[in-house]
Amino acid sequence: MAQAFETDFWKDAASRKIWDDIVPGEPRQTMPYTLTLDAIQAYCRSVGEDHPLYFDEDYARRSPYGGLIAPPSIHILLMFACTPADDWMRTPGTVNAGQSWSYNIPARPGDTITLQARALDKFIKKERLFVIHDNVFCNQRGEVICSGRGWTIRPV
Amino acid sequence: MTHATFADLAPGYRIDGPAFAVSRESIRAFAAASLDFNPLHLDDDYMTGSFGKTNFGGIIMHGMNNFGLLTRMLTDWAYAAGAVHRRLETRWLKPVKPGDTIRPHGVLKSKRTTQKSRWVVIDVEVRNQREEVVASGEAMIEFPLPAA
Repeated sequence: MAQAFETDFWKDAASRKIWDDIVPGEPRQTMPYTLTLDAIQAYCRSVGEDHPLYFDEDYARRSPYGGLIAPPSIHILLMFACTPADDWMRTPGTVNAGQSWSYNIPARPGDTITLQARALDKFIKKERLFVIHDNVFCNQRGEVICSGRGWTIRPV
Repeated sequence: MTHATFADLAPGYRIDGPAFAVSRESIRAFAAASLDFNPLHLDDDYMTGSFGKTNFGGIIMHGMNNFGLLTRMLTDWAYAAGAVHRRLETRWLKPVKPGDTIRPHGVLKSKRTTQKSRWVVIDVEVRNQREEVVASGEAMIEFPLPAA
């Protein structure tokens, strides 16, 4: 997955919806993503996460979690992993103003993660163009991992 | 450090997370690990431009990097207490740039027992080396009732 990921966010810019095109309530296109231990641990290292629940298989097996897990904030990676290159969240200049997330169960290495996502609202405030996005991540059993909203300021 | 218990916790209880040194390398590592390659975080030439009324004057750290640091602080504290991190809401108030050192902390705001569990609400912040608040928000941690 990571190898095929387009890191040049300008490349598909013309195909992405702008603020005017985004319809609140309309689902965003998403795709399943298999979460690997390598991806979890790379994310952990990037924010200084070093808890043994993410790195030490023996410790994790003996813990209440029964095995290695991902930190709750793994949805930061999943947001981009589960959406295609023309998703408007990738539009260069998109400013993230804030997010709120609720957590149910942890994601685990080997999980196939799916995303249900949509724009929930769009508005103009202080001359800025805002879109609120609404997201639910589930595992391969349909169990909710986490759900969350984000406030983005759209580039003009 | 002694582990928190729900009974002993009271408003004003403070949690501190470790400091995090922000650099171009840390921002690139976060971009690669989160797959967020927005040029706001990577392209100096792009960041010489203005965004509406705002000119950042150079690349900025991903706002969600703050979110990751707050999560680390909360989960490290909750795991040790046998508690579960259930919610985090944040707003980004100031841009964070390479060379900054940021640090998360939390202050317990309230406790609540519901029909099936026990909860604490924590005000959270991330401050930079000038003690400016760069992110703020609120978290909720569950202390499950002991098995009957």
